[in-house]
Amino acid sequence: MAAITSPLQPTSLRNLALLLRTAPRFVQNQFRFQSTTSGPASSSSVNPTEVSHFNALASTWWDPQGSSRLLHLMNPLRHDFIRSCHATQPIPPPAAGLRYLDIGCGGGIFAESAARLHNTGLVTAIDPSPQVLAVAKAHARQDPGLSGKLNYLNSSIEGLPKPTSVEEQYDVLSLFEVIEHITHPAEFMDVCADFVKPGGWIVMSTIARTWLSWFTTKLVAEDIVGIVPRGTHDWDKYINAEELRGYFLKERGWNSPQVVGVVYVPGLGWKQVDGSEKVGNYFFGIRKDEV
Amino acid sequence: MRPLQSPLQARQLSEYVCNNCTRQLRRQRRRYATTTLTTSSNPDIYDVVCVGGGPAGLSLLAALRSNPATSRLKIALVESQSLTPIRSFSLPPTQFSNRCSSLTPSSVRFLQSIGAWKFVKRERVQAYREMRVWDGVSGASIDFDTAALGPGGKDGVIAYMNENLNLTSALLQRIDELGGVDVLDGQKVADIRLGEEGEDVDLSSWPVVKVSGGREITARLLVGADGANSPVRAFAGIQSRGWDYERHGVVATLKMEGPGWGGEDHKIAYQRFLPTGPIAMLPLPGSYSTLVWSTTPELAAKLKSLNEQDFVSMVNAGLRLSPTDLKYLHSMPEGQTDEATWREQHTPFETNKIPQRVVGVQEGTIASFPLKFRHADTYIGERIALVGDAAHTVHPLAGQGLNQGQGDVESLAKTIEYSVTHGQDIGVQLSLEAYNAERYAQNNLLMGVMDKLHKLYAVESGPVVALRSLGLRAVDGLGPLKGFFMKQAAGTGVKVF
Repeated sequence: MAAITSPLQPTSLRNLALLLRTAPRFVQNQFRFQSTTSGPASSSSVNPTEVSHFNALASTWWDPQGSSRLLHLMNPLRHDFIRSCHATQPIPPPAAGLRYLDIGCGGGIFAESAARLHNTGLVTAIDPSPQVLAVAKAHARQDPGLSGKLNYLNSSIEGLPKPTSVEEQYDVLSLFEVIEHITHPAEFMDVCADFVKPGGWIVMSTIARTWLSWFTTKLVAEDIVGIVPRGTHDWDKYINAEELRGYFLKERGWNSPQVVGVVYVPGLGWKQVDGSEKVGNYFFGIRKDEV
Repeated sequence: MRPLQSPLQARQLSEYVCNNCTRQLRRQRRRYATTTLTTSSNPDIYDVVCVGGGPAGLSLLAALRSNPATSRLKIALVESQSLTPIRSFSLPPTQFSNRCSSLTPSSVRFLQSIGAWKFVKRERVQAYREMRVWDGVSGASIDFDTAALGPGGKDGVIAYMNENLNLTSALLQRIDELGGVDVLDGQKVADIRLGEEGEDVDLSSWPVVKVSGGREITARLLVGADGANSPVRAFAGIQSRGWDYERHGVVATLKMEGPGWGGEDHKIAYQRFLPTGPIAMLPLPGSYSTLVWSTTPELAAKLKSLNEQDFVSMVNAGLRLSPTDLKYLHSMPEGQTDEATWREQHTPFETNKIPQRVVGVQEGTIASFPLKFRHADTYIGERIALVGDAAHTVHPLAGQGLNQGQGDVESLAKTIEYSVTHGQDIGVQLSLEAYNAERYAQNNLLMGVMDKLHKLYAVESGPVVALRSLGLRAVDGLGPLKGFFMKQAAGTGVKVF
């Protein structure tokens, strides 16, 4: 990859663009599905451009040398981040049977890896795109160890039945590269909150809304280079860590916000860099009050 | 989705089985099986299948089993020899196996960390604290001792001489102690192919190993620790390139006139570079030493044909007489002893700078093997990892082969641990990249140095001899530089590469 040889930079343009391209931007459509259908999204709700885009992407989602390589390389950091969130708890989470809900799971890079962990009981992974979910299911068949621990559903979060007991709620609700595509993040978060166990976590990764992300994702990626279709990203929808923190801590029943900035260093991979959450990619985690 | 039959897999298959069979395999794969397979319910699906129960393979299994993070992996070992005699390895203190290796302090530290070192019979291991290397043509020499190691030198030990059997026996005992490895020993690999796609499970990227006993086991990760002619490497379609040195290594267990000039507490290793190759004498406990004499195949055959007395005389001569004298001795059909004695009287040498005299050779220990240089193009493939001799075969002149294998295993075990703790499939190439990246360049560099040394010292006369002698003397005179070389040899050096 050409980026490997380029000098250190906060976030390589090409890499960032790749990340954005692979992000499930259809998630924003969930709200539109919501108004017309109450069940899982049907393929007709996804616009034809999106379908062809993801069909093209589908064949390379699990190619480690393909356009999703950056996502594959970032995946271990997601687990490191979740572990660091758990480490802040005064009482550690249960040693077995953890339940994950992965929203906008895409090809299942995170969902599969979460299901493989020995202390995982179940991973429910949802995505509104049937094409992408087909890729995820086909890939999961290649690992017999996943059977019984990983459940894919073609659904939006609103399409899932609301948990009626703590047992049906989740220890970890993950939103990786999703929130920046949501039209009304506050409402979306409120829906998500019902799925989290008391003492459980929402973990997410996204990009800060800064001059740098505007430059790389809007001006360069969309307008100049054109690797991302124009209009894919609405820079105004990017959310800064401070805003997330402010939202959750405003008497909504959440505590212990965790923020970690990550930077892709060519030749070394993704690295945790303190303070970089203010300029580029970052992880955010928040814990639900234990009632 | 990965294509059902990628071009790479097709190529790998066609290299391993004939075209007809490949076609048949493809047809078979299209027929969907109806049975459901899972790792937990199917006894023949393993997370790690290691082919080869030598030092590298056994160390890997002990490392995986002793680490809590990787101890949940389901592991099988396939080894063509029966492991029972190795497990119960026992020899009297006056007998030593002729296959010995020097273990660097770094390898010993790793063996301690995986809990295997405690099973090594320590009374059969000999530490050495000094290493004398000299040029058989010019006489220029270099003396490595513990002082050159500086404060970083561990207990003043350069390396430990140990019988390979003592090590493999210890590793087996450690694996037995840990339990949890399905051992298929005394069984050859009959066939390796890719698995099939069923209704619920697609194992078309998983290697299936069929052993001579008939059992078929499926591997998430297939480790080739199966030596220079690795069937696993052949299956993966990974080329191994290199050359033969046109040299054979003659080994023997020797009885010396005493424990050495430094006594029991300060054992010394010796290596003399002759134009035909280096002759090395490495200390074992008591008055024993092990010989590794690299020479031409003809001279190796000649040495093996001699009676015990003449063989002993030739070894003594090899460490004392000039290359010209040695050439003459080699040409004699027999009676080397008298000729060598006479010639030694007319050759000046400092007795205490060379090893003590050999007085006997342990019966049945004289053997030889061809020396090769081989390096695989890569150590990894999809669901494939190569370690030890399957990945690289090196000239034995620095005794680094086994240590390189231990380095591979330590790195691979660390890579697998990272994958397990981060939920990655341990078999996919993406998960194995870190192992290849860490070990390939490092091994390549060391192997290059060993190869260049061999070629450098194969020159008998002219400016090269003068230059290399100058080089040896210069290094000998420069303490810090010498210390640097020693630390690299001992595996304790700073990783500058």
